[in-house]
Amino acid sequence: MKFLTVSDDINFLRQVNTLVSGKGDIDSVLIGEGDAKGLGSHVLYKAKRETPFDAVSEGILKIAGNYDYIVIGSTEIGREIAGYLSFKTGFYAATEVFFLDFSGQKTHTKRFFFGGKTVIEEESDARIITVAPGVIEAKDLGSTPEARDLEVGQSRIKITKFVSKAGGSVRLEDAKVIVSVGRGIGSKDNIAKIEPLAKALNGEIAGSRPVCMDYGWLSEDRQVGLSGKKVSPKVYIALGISGQIQHIAGMRNSKTVIAINKDKNAPIFQECDYGIVGDIFTVVPKILEQLKQ
Amino acid sequence: MVNVVVLIKQIIDIDQMKTDSEGKPILTGIPYRLENLSKNAIEAAVRIKEKNGGKVTGIIFGTEAGTSAMKESYAMGVDEGILITGYKGSNPQVTAKAILTYLKQIQFDMVILGDQSADSYTGMLPGLISAGLGIPLLGNANNIAIDGKTVRITQVGEAENVEMEAEMPVVVSVTQEINEPRLPPVLQIMAAGRKPIRTEKFDGSFNNVNVISNLAPKSERKRKVFEKVDEGIAEVVKVLKEEVR
Ligand SMILES: Cc1cc2nc3c(=O)[nH]c(=O)nc-3n(C[C@H](O)[C@H](O)[C@H](O)COP(=O)(O)OP(=O)(O)OC[C@H]3O[C@@H](n4cnc5c(N)ncnc54)[C@H](O)[C@@H]3O)c2cc1C
Ligand SMILES: Nc1ncnc2c1ncn2[C@@H]1O[C@H](COP(=O)(O)O)[C@@H](O)[C@H]1O
Repeated sequence: MKFLTVSDDINFLRQVNTLVSGKGDIDSVLIGEGDAKGLGSHVLYKAKRETPFDAVSEGILKIAGNYDYIVIGSTEIGREIAGYLSFKTGFYAATEVFFLDFSGQKTHTKRFFFGGKTVIEEESDARIITVAPGVIEAKDLGSTPEARDLEVGQSRIKITKFVSKAGGSVRLEDAKVIVSVGRGIGSKDNIAKIEPLAKALNGEIAGSRPVCMDYGWLSEDRQVGLSGKKVSPKVYIALGISGQIQHIAGMRNSKTVIAINKDKNAPIFQECDYGIVGDIFTVVPKILEQLKQ
Repeated sequence: MVNVVVLIKQIIDIDQMKTDSEGKPILTGIPYRLENLSKNAIEAAVRIKEKNGGKVTGIIFGTEAGTSAMKESYAMGVDEGILITGYKGSNPQVTAKAILTYLKQIQFDMVILGDQSADSYTGMLPGLISAGLGIPLLGNANNIAIDGKTVRITQVGEAENVEMEAEMPVVVSVTQEINEPRLPPVLQIMAAGRKPIRTEKFDGSFNNVNVISNLAPKSERKRKVFEKVDEGIAEVVKVLKEEVR
């Protein structure tokens, strides 16, 4: 089997390659820059990061005939490309999968449904697949690809500016401890108040979608949930997170879940091992103090 | 004048949905509601009309139950609606085909939809509709500005935001954060009940997908919740010391 994997993020591309590795040969498309050492693909087709999704899609269509499956990381541009390709090729797209296998002509997938309340397992004739972020730890696959330019198509979309966001890249997938903040943290400045806890536990800071997307208190690559990272740390500490199902879908595989919320009816208390009904700003300092004893 | 078509999905109220002892979803008696991002899309469309003039047309691919969703959309400011019945489950290709059949009969400057729907969140519709119409997609917008024929948006991306533009007609998909959807006053909801809905049929069956199972994952959490803060802290500290050495 031959796979074409696609992403605009080199780390995500590594995850996608890790997911399909061992199932067949891989070529890849990368939109933007990144170090491809150990990516595991034979050829890496590159497109400039300011290439609109439709121009990238047209470029992929020119080579798509060489592949059995196109597997795309689910980022914004990744989903746009998948939809475009699905229309142009007529192939069904299996979306947001966290499990992927092939048996005969069938594509076997698992993904969340009903906003994360259930897991749906399907068999389909999908030839296009989008992979949810953070579902697998990226491995070094040994070989480094030969780089080529992707022959992109035309677009009537004009990209005028990139605006960078706070934070840098973070590997939540690998973190042993995650301290995750929700809207209850109140402000960007307040994040500094819980940082010592993350430090003391050697953990990473993550957040719910409003914190990462809406308010931008944290960068988006720290978002945990249905449309964010899927994490599985030893300890997940939820601070001021209500526990909506779309958030739970991202942290369900954590070993131990600790929640602090001032509302005793918050749904997070149904999904935690240890819960404290209280205020973040009084509880966290006390935990920290006793941890140091 | 900017004429907008908004794509509206109706879903079951997933917050009210429970699962049985085996994890099977219990769907009987669960009310339908407007899908979260469809509401943001409606709000964005209505704001464009309020600012620039023009008309908002809503399209739902759903079932007969979709009339209530269309009425709610009317109350929010949608002027006309097409309810396409025949929806038999989540299959973005089929949904796109049903919507494109009727979308192509309408004069519009912009199609607005959600970036990913709240129940199935395939995120395929924006790309499918854009490719199907052969017009540009400005995706995952957290604002929309119209300047003559040019539409500018800020796309919320994973690592950075991207400012982009294209000439109308365009497809725009919106984020959940773009606006706060309005709650229509009771009088408007009553008036909306009398407005006609154009209803069409589409055969939305498909056989290329076989659902093996659809079950709630098991949760085996301990759920030891402390209302006495100091006891909770002591327990949590003990756990943390064991887990993180
Ligand atoms: C398609 C789709 C995808 C989505 N994907 C994601 C996703 O990937 N990740 C995600 O997180 N969400 C996602 N969501 C959004 C999700 O539905 C919720 O809106 C979101 O998770 C709520 O975030 P929150 O818990 O931070 O905020 P809220 O729900 O507002 O909760 C804040 C909580 O903080 C508590 N609180 C306030 N102050 C304090 C204090 N001082 N001390 C202690 N507690 C306090 C409150 O009691 C409350 O429970 C998605 C939604 C949709 C429709
Ligand atoms: N059956 C439908 N009828 C009308 N619009 C839909 C339908 N399904 C999806 N949409 C629109 O497409 C958006 C993205 O949905 P999806 O691509 O399924 O994640 C939704 O927010 C709606 O605006």
